[in-house]
Amino acid sequence: MTVGHSQSEQVPLLRVRNLKVHFRGRDGWFSAASAIRAVDGVCFELRAGETLGLVGESGCGKTTTARAILNLVPVTAGSVELAGTCTSGLSESAMQPYRREVQMIFQDPFASLNPRMTVGRIIAEPMEIFRLYDTRQRRLEVMRLMDLVGLNPSTLNRYPHEFSGGQRQRIGIARALAVEPRLLVCDEAVSALDVSIQAQVINLLKDLQQRLGLAYLFISHDLAVVRHIADRVGVMYLGRIVELAAAEALYSNPRHPYTQALLSAAPVPDPERERHHQRIALRGEVPSPDREYPGCPFADRCHLVEAGCHRTPPRLEGDAHRVACLLPTTDRPVPS
Amino acid sequence: MPNAMLHVDQLRVEFVTDTGIVRAVNDISFELHEGQTLGIVGESGSGKTVANLAIMGLVPQPPGRIVSGHITFGGRNLRNLSNRDWSKIRGRQISMIFQDPMTALNPYMTIADQMREVTQRHLGHRRRTAIDHAVEMLERVGIPAASQRVFDYPHQFSGGMRQRVMIAMALSCKPEVLIADEPTTALDVTIQAQILDLMKQLQEDEGTAIIFITHDLGVVANICQDVLVMYAGRIVEQAQVGPLFRQPLHPYTLGLLKSGPRWDQRVAGQLETIDGQPPDLTQLPDGCAFAPRCPYVQDRCQRELPQLLFAGTAGGSQRGQACFHDLSTPAAGAVEEVDR
Repeated sequence: MTVGHSQSEQVPLLRVRNLKVHFRGRDGWFSAASAIRAVDGVCFELRAGETLGLVGESGCGKTTTARAILNLVPVTAGSVELAGTCTSGLSESAMQPYRREVQMIFQDPFASLNPRMTVGRIIAEPMEIFRLYDTRQRRLEVMRLMDLVGLNPSTLNRYPHEFSGGQRQRIGIARALAVEPRLLVCDEAVSALDVSIQAQVINLLKDLQQRLGLAYLFISHDLAVVRHIADRVGVMYLGRIVELAAAEALYSNPRHPYTQALLSAAPVPDPERERHHQRIALRGEVPSPDREYPGCPFADRCHLVEAGCHRTPPRLEGDAHRVACLLPTTDRPVPS
Repeated sequence: MPNAMLHVDQLRVEFVTDTGIVRAVNDISFELHEGQTLGIVGESGSGKTVANLAIMGLVPQPPGRIVSGHITFGGRNLRNLSNRDWSKIRGRQISMIFQDPMTALNPYMTIADQMREVTQRHLGHRRRTAIDHAVEMLERVGIPAASQRVFDYPHQFSGGMRQRVMIAMALSCKPEVLIADEPTTALDVTIQAQILDLMKQLQEDEGTAIIFITHDLGVVANICQDVLVMYAGRIVEQAQVGPLFRQPLHPYTLGLLKSGPRWDQRVAGQLETIDGQPPDLTQLPDGCAFAPRCPYVQDRCQRELPQLLFAGTAGGSQRGQACFHDLSTPAAGAVEEVDR
């Protein structure tokens, strides 16, 4: 059973509208619980075969956004639409068919695979859940998938601990692909890998995308990896997307002051450039998402802040290059 | 060469495990000079952390054992020190910052109690003086309202703040050598930038020599003057930071530089990769450990172990590489024009 394949190409594969996920904060002894606004009004679309990168620092809401898309956390407001159908708030059984459309790849290839299951069973399990193929065909399918992700199919009776980190991440990818999804949510999928192995897995993901027409929601704190893999990139800060643009435009001409600061803080492997590089110094750290901001949530730390920023909330505006800032810094290059 | 403070000579460290003897560090030698920041780069299992635990006298024995080598600091061989003598040096003359400040700080003790422990022991401070000193150190590393926050517990600080506390603690006795093991890896980039600037500033003020262990080549380019590249427990290349990035001499260094994407450059198509997997440290080959993954491999590499050979000195720093192949032809290409 496949959902929505007949829908016209006009309908995006994934549409996230004004998504809010608030968690109940800790009760104070003398005060009511405050809401933790983990995701606070996120909007974006993802087309079939496309890669959208989501970047931002710890606590900006990237992972919660991913979990809300998969219906793994309750959505406070807004909606998630998969191929034109609203899936937020569906019961577990009603959600089941859509789980075939969207699969997830996790960060830690050591924690996300069951150590007591053979690789063959790990990859076959999703097929069993969705009752795909008979037993013999499943085995062939497992071997085909292992070959597809660059694992030796003859190792299907081995256990996860017999594989290296990079190979385990390939096992995770094969398992995600077992039910032929159209969208893979990759949450820090290559962040735990060493550089030389990371490049292998990134190449594999790009190769699979071309062959299978997959769409990726690629969540990472690593700005360099995201530039390389994403077609479009969204920058998140305190539960919101503050800038959303084509990867090339965003990296070569960042317009939100936070994006500028973020890029300016990321070192590059070039000693000459590092020596002369002037960083945008951000004051303080990302504040806790437990309060409401009447104006721009970044205003307290912004190097370009003006009086109006504390009063008027900026909206994510623009066509191809969208920025949520009252004074988007048009064509102002990052100081370097 | 002027005043080497720390001298590591032919250090070899092994661990005895169920699956065999893990040869974590294999005959490494290097020197550290006053005011120098020496980067040690390598991937997981390259031996960078174990080598530095050995310098600190912190290799757990068993299962670990220091098979051979000398570690000389201030004219003394640290390998022969008693625990008693070690405790006079550790935290006083050589101190260490660990990657994860949450596990390195004691969750049951206030920052004040953890910090005064160091100065009361080493500098003979009285309680009051020690707390004043702790506050002063916290202020220096940029902790706001330090005189109140010093009485907080570690969980009351954010990750970046905890790492500042670790740095303040490590520097509170003005050590001559600071070993920083991936001190910014767990931090966000904007906080990382603050911590790197802080370390540079403190080094300028105090002249501390720093060993900076990291896998992040961007961080190396930012903070280090000299770099050791490690693979399978050996130093495969040693150079000043500029020449290393301009013209890497070892195929592994070249591979590392090429396989990492950069945010300031566009790479069309596929990333270059280093084929294969990292070596099994229980079964290292007779020849070069990188040979199975090396694009320049020759017959000789399988049989013979390339030694780290030095080709002259430049600006007081030696340039060395352990490879039979000559990569020193131009266009070895780490630095391409920035695409902006």
